[in-house]
Amino acid sequence: MYPRLNLLVVLIRNDFRLFLADRRAALLCFLVPIVLASVFTSIFERPGRPTQSARLDLLVVAEDTDPLCAGIIDDLIATDRADVRRATRAEAEAEIAKRGSGVAVVFPVGFSAACRARDSQKPGLELLFHPASPIESQWAEGLLTELVMKKLAKQWLEPMGLAGGALLERPFDMQHHSVPERIGHPFNSASHAFAGMTLQYLLFWGMESGLVFLRERQRGIWKRLRTSPVLLRDILLARSISTATIAVVQVLVTFSFGMLFFDVRITGSFAGFVLLVLAICLLSSATGLMVAAFGETEARARNISILVILAVSMIGGLWLPAFLLPRWIQDVSLLMPVSWAMRALDGVTWQGRGLASMLPAVAMVLVFVATFLVLAAGRFYWSESRRRRGIRIC
Amino acid sequence: MTTDCQLSVEAVSIRYGTVLAVRELSFVVRAGEMYALLGPNGSGKSSTLGAIAGNLLPAEGSIRVRGICRREKPAEYARLVGVVYQEPALYEELTARQNLELFGGLYGLRNPMLRRRIVDALNRVRLAERADERLAGFSGGMLRRINLACALLHTPAVLLLDEPTVALDPESRDALFATLARLRESGCAIVLTTHHLEEAEMWCDRVGILREGKLIAEGRPADLLRQTSDRSIIHGQLRETIPGDDADALRKSLGPTVELRISGRRLTLSAADGAGLGRALARLHERGVMLESFRTPPPRMECLFDGASDLSADNHRENSCTPA
Repeated sequence: MYPRLNLLVVLIRNDFRLFLADRRAALLCFLVPIVLASVFTSIFERPGRPTQSARLDLLVVAEDTDPLCAGIIDDLIATDRADVRRATRAEAEAEIAKRGSGVAVVFPVGFSAACRARDSQKPGLELLFHPASPIESQWAEGLLTELVMKKLAKQWLEPMGLAGGALLERPFDMQHHSVPERIGHPFNSASHAFAGMTLQYLLFWGMESGLVFLRERQRGIWKRLRTSPVLLRDILLARSISTATIAVVQVLVTFSFGMLFFDVRITGSFAGFVLLVLAICLLSSATGLMVAAFGETEARARNISILVILAVSMIGGLWLPAFLLPRWIQDVSLLMPVSWAMRALDGVTWQGRGLASMLPAVAMVLVFVATFLVLAAGRFYWSESRRRRGIRIC
Repeated sequence: MTTDCQLSVEAVSIRYGTVLAVRELSFVVRAGEMYALLGPNGSGKSSTLGAIAGNLLPAEGSIRVRGICRREKPAEYARLVGVVYQEPALYEELTARQNLELFGGLYGLRNPMLRRRIVDALNRVRLAERADERLAGFSGGMLRRINLACALLHTPAVLLLDEPTVALDPESRDALFATLARLRESGCAIVLTTHHLEEAEMWCDRVGILREGKLIAEGRPADLLRQTSDRSIIHGQLRETIPGDDADALRKSLGPTVELRISGRRLTLSAADGAGLGRALARLHERGVMLESFRTPPPRMECLFDGASDLSADNHRENSCTPA
């Protein structure tokens, strides 16, 4: 038992030495997820700051020079819900074509006159919008409807002495609450970004660890190791332990930075967080073994792994929260361990979930870890047996 | 088998898929003996070494080191064998000492003995002063010396070296063999592969000559030289190539004591004595085989597998069984 333990210690120590041999690369291993998470956080929301109202970027083309139309445009400019700029039709079309603005409203000649006539022929307004900005177009339509109706109602009701200010105002107040706020845990986009980027980088770290195997094979070190008294299972076990240990350090460093500078908090079960960190670090080393077992050459394995990791990160909700993705992608993502890990990380950080509610996700991650380990170890034993019998491995 | 037999290879055959690379190979190496496996490319030298090291599983036969078979006691067997492959299998990101600590540790060495052995091994390969430098800055020759030091740490009973002198300058080559000679004196059995015949003649106690996976000759270099000088050989250049079927017919007509090898327009003819060679030449002449030129080689060991060495590069590739 002890000699075997000693062999494992020798191999694990060597892996740590290899990791630290290039100090700058080792430092980058910790810096890159922090930088990525910080960038993602700053793109979205900074924690603790009140959300500013979004404003619609709107172009106005005033072909109608009537005072009624001018009044509506003045109201548009005065509203705090839009940034309004005047333009000619040609300018507006050019601006929308190059996506300088998503939408423009055109008040055509005769719009005011048609409004005053109040006959069955309704006055027309034109909305010009970029095909990629349908939401802005609907937003502009709603804003215009409110302002034009207010203006016209005032005009029509004033002669009847009914144009009281309160009558034309919105008859209710809208209160905004994000759902997590109601359960006492405000959404923290930094938490999501740090969890997502940590998870993504753990997959990359796993890949790097797997590539070390392929490099060892290429350099003949693997052949040399296989003539030593150490067993294949011990080589695999040692590499898994060292990979997972370095992954734990990466998680701790990244989350510590997030907690210190971005108000990332573990609002849920701390025990659940610890359990989850161990599970995702094992996932990292299992990923590494998969890369090593099924990768043929280092260059090929690296390119394919990067493609898979980026796709899985995107689909699994590591970049953007899963609820922003189409429903079918959310369903597909259930087949990926990172999706379960991400749900659990969101749960334990900003959603304030307890241990019990996280266990199913942690269990799913561990099921994937076990599957990867069995597949990778099986492939290793199979290819080793073939190699020893002199059969070329495809 | 004598009591000081360190390595015994008995009727070993090695296959790569359907290709038989080594056929029923048998030899023993005793303590304090340096044994060279000689042969042209693809003759099965490296495969034999790979099987002894444990990287290849023989299809038939058995390999024992001090009576221990790898299949029965893999860890014990591995501790008795040291391997130096052609390419330095080292972590160039690490220092020489760190590499030695890894390989020593894998063979169960612990401090303070490990530290002592590392110093000894580095002194042996004359690199003690560079112990704490990264291997990335080492020359090819220095890497090979560290590679050797790694294999010596656990004082193996049998040391295997695959083409140890490839790409070494003459000075490094002599230094390596001087190191190996000192090891031999300490009782280590050394098996090396090479196609530098002068090395084997100068340094090795015994040689085994492989051709197409078969051991065609074995013995002390001096005895083999005497045998080869007993045979009469000529190398010739044919006026025209001879089709394969005709060449087979020619071989049969010459009888069992005469050996005929034809590769393209090259011909090697060997007979037990000068008279036999003369008769064989006359027979070839009768059958219309005309020589454009010929030469007689000096009595050296090359003669034993000269025919195989003379094979064209294409034939080497066709016959090579070693996987990439």
